[in-house]
Amino acid sequence: MTRNRILFGIGVLAFVSVIVTVRLGGFLVDNEYRQPDRQVAAQEELGEAELVPRQQGIADEQAADEAEARARPYEEAEYRTVPFVGSRVTVWVLAQLHLLFAAFVLAVPLFAFIIEFVGYVKKEERYNKLAYEFTKLLSVSFSMTATFGAFLTFALIILYPKFTNYLMHIFSPTFLPYVLLFFLEALFLYSYYYGWGKFGPKMHLFLGFMLNIVGTAIMFIANAWLTFMMSPGKRDDIDGDGVPDFVSAVSESGALLSLRDAFFNFTWMPINIHRIIANVAFGGSIAAAYAAFRYLQAKSDEERAHFDWMGYVGNFVAIIAFLPLPFAGYYLAAEIYAFSQTLGIQMMGGTFSWLFVLQAALIGNLFLGANYYLWLGMGRMEGGVHFQKFIKWLLIAIALCFAVWATPRYAISSVSEIAAMGGSSHPQLSYLGQMSAKNTAVNILILSTYMSFLLYRRTGRQSIHPHRQLLTRAQAIVFSSAAALVIFYGVYGYFVDSATRIRFAIPQVYSVLAALVVITVIDLPLYRNAAQSGETKWGRIPAVSQYALIFIALSFTWLMGLMGYVRSGLRQEWHVYGVILDTSPDAYTPSLGFATQVVSVTVLIFFGLIGVVFWLSSLSGKKDYAPGAAAEDGGRLEGGQTA
Amino acid sequence: MKLSVPMPLRLVLLVLGTTAFYMYLGQIVPQKESHPPPPVLINAEMTTEDLVAVGAELASGKGQCLVGCHTVGQSGPLRYPDLDGIGGRAATQVDGLSDLEYLAQSLYEPAVFIVPGFADGMQAINQPPINLSDDEIKAVIAWLQSLGGTPNVTLDTDLGY
Repeated sequence: MTRNRILFGIGVLAFVSVIVTVRLGGFLVDNEYRQPDRQVAAQEELGEAELVPRQQGIADEQAADEAEARARPYEEAEYRTVPFVGSRVTVWVLAQLHLLFAAFVLAVPLFAFIIEFVGYVKKEERYNKLAYEFTKLLSVSFSMTATFGAFLTFALIILYPKFTNYLMHIFSPTFLPYVLLFFLEALFLYSYYYGWGKFGPKMHLFLGFMLNIVGTAIMFIANAWLTFMMSPGKRDDIDGDGVPDFVSAVSESGALLSLRDAFFNFTWMPINIHRIIANVAFGGSIAAAYAAFRYLQAKSDEERAHFDWMGYVGNFVAIIAFLPLPFAGYYLAAEIYAFSQTLGIQMMGGTFSWLFVLQAALIGNLFLGANYYLWLGMGRMEGGVHFQKFIKWLLIAIALCFAVWATPRYAISSVSEIAAMGGSSHPQLSYLGQMSAKNTAVNILILSTYMSFLLYRRTGRQSIHPHRQLLTRAQAIVFSSAAALVIFYGVYGYFVDSATRIRFAIPQVYSVLAALVVITVIDLPLYRNAAQSGETKWGRIPAVSQYALIFIALSFTWLMGLMGYVRSGLRQEWHVYGVILDTSPDAYTPSLGFATQVVSVTVLIFFGLIGVVFWLSSLSGKKDYAPGAAAEDGGRLEGGQTA
Repeated sequence: MKLSVPMPLRLVLLVLGTTAFYMYLGQIVPQKESHPPPPVLINAEMTTEDLVAVGAELASGKGQCLVGCHTVGQSGPLRYPDLDGIGGRAATQVDGLSDLEYLAQSLYEPAVFIVPGFADGMQAINQPPINLSDDEIKAVIAWLQSLGGTPNVTLDTDLGY
């Protein structure tokens, strides 16, 4: 009833707006200056063509404008500006919005395809339904991606014509393949979505597979354009001394020497890897947010159960992709260092060092949110109480790691505080701000989150494996050894030189990765055909868990926005690092405070638009409009309320 | 009376609250805009003393020597060698190279000799993105010589590069 009233109100408001607009237009036209009728008649009679002063003034202005335009020589603009907002912020917001939607559109088919494939192998229809539910989100998002892509292209051509022309000079051979691939992606995406249930399972899976291949190829091409701006060349040992030399893809004047080197540039593959993983994590979180939105809207237990399961799967995808993301980030950072120490130092120790404190807060919140959701999810299963005693220890470990990661090396201090500390860094706490401590913290965070997931997986199940005790002990030993190794290298890092310390991150990462793989490999047979001590009751989870899912999606979006600022801002005053200087008024790196304001606006616009995507996607599940049925529904609802 | 907030409003509040929280974090950390280094003017009349002053300015600006890479007068685990006293020890770093030759090589071809205990990583500073001119590099050498040594480089000095 309330909904009908709102709709009626909107209709009345729209009607009144139209009437007011028409009336206002009519008023303005009626009151426009007109030459008196008698004067016009007199002039016509006399055959005079004399203009009244107003007409003369307008004609003079037009003539002056035309003369000025003719006198002005054509000059090719290097930059153009946008009033109030500025060129940089315009392109920044458009690029980020394009990227967020593109990430979502690339990620969802990836896990929708995997879920569909699992359903096909297991012969379970519920997986097929779930994959379809995820795919429903794609068509509107695809349109949004294309719209913002077009906006961004126009903005670049209009606001940065010279620089855009330069990029076209370098990459024009890649444009046609890009457009063709985009066309193919539309073809595969719509046939995948609209062909659900219309094709045989193998054919449909093939369409999903091709959609992923084409989507990934599109991203790889676009990544070449943006990574070229950061690393316009490759490193190769051209003089045979064992030390990689920089091989520029362009000459000193910027002329193209090798399209191959420009395309397959130094940071291209690290960005590809990082983006695929990050897109899946981000896409999973947004899909989980959609499920949360539908769960909160749900009217029946059946709907709640379905969307609870969907939210769980979306979050599971997000967290599983998120766990290796710091490693991919480390690889990317190491490659940036290897390409240019100046870039690397700028990133970690220069202008952006404080950004990583904010990044720590975001990632810490993501880990906390994900663990909180898993712990709440234990309530779905009978027998969950058994594991809840471990949660406080996990929470302590996560909170400690969060605190370490968020500890800055240099504190924000007053003059008296600096004097008391004997410098801008705290005598004890600054040790926690160093790379050794931070690497240790993030690795322990990953291990703890994985442990939460393991506990969740075991809730309500009992292994019937004949060697269950031995295997469980083996898992505990692997877990403890990895944690011990991470902590050992973290502490030892304080006693060695910087070059050695940086290399310690590698065994830390490998030990954690190895632990995750080994524990999973043991866990699969250990809990295969496990005895169920209770039923999983999907939908039996507090509503706050759904808000946690939306909070996770928000934090992911923020993280993407913030990391976009670093990646782009690293180049400082260069459009193409070391080749094309930015000579516009925006040729500086804005402060973190300003960047977070821009990211805030982007996140709010994105969530406004993704809300529209959610709403449109949810319409497909609603009943078709039927006038009689609507009246009946209204009657039933009113009757129910009365009763 | 139990206050019930409608779900859409809760979602809006969650989005706005989370965004406001992260934006607030971004405002309370130190704010720094990173501008391109101002141009340094070198003219033919400059003396060695003038070059030392210009070199010091370049080292912490356009040259980026002191922006996270080298230090002056620090000890402990360092990223790259501390420059304190470099003017005095430059002549003894590599056999057969004078202090001037050694410093010039370190700047033009930094990968040729790596100080033991440190990793290769410095870029040639006469190339982009740092892109110092030959005269600017002479100024940086004059400043390096002044750290524990006696500067003698002038704009007429031939560095061999």
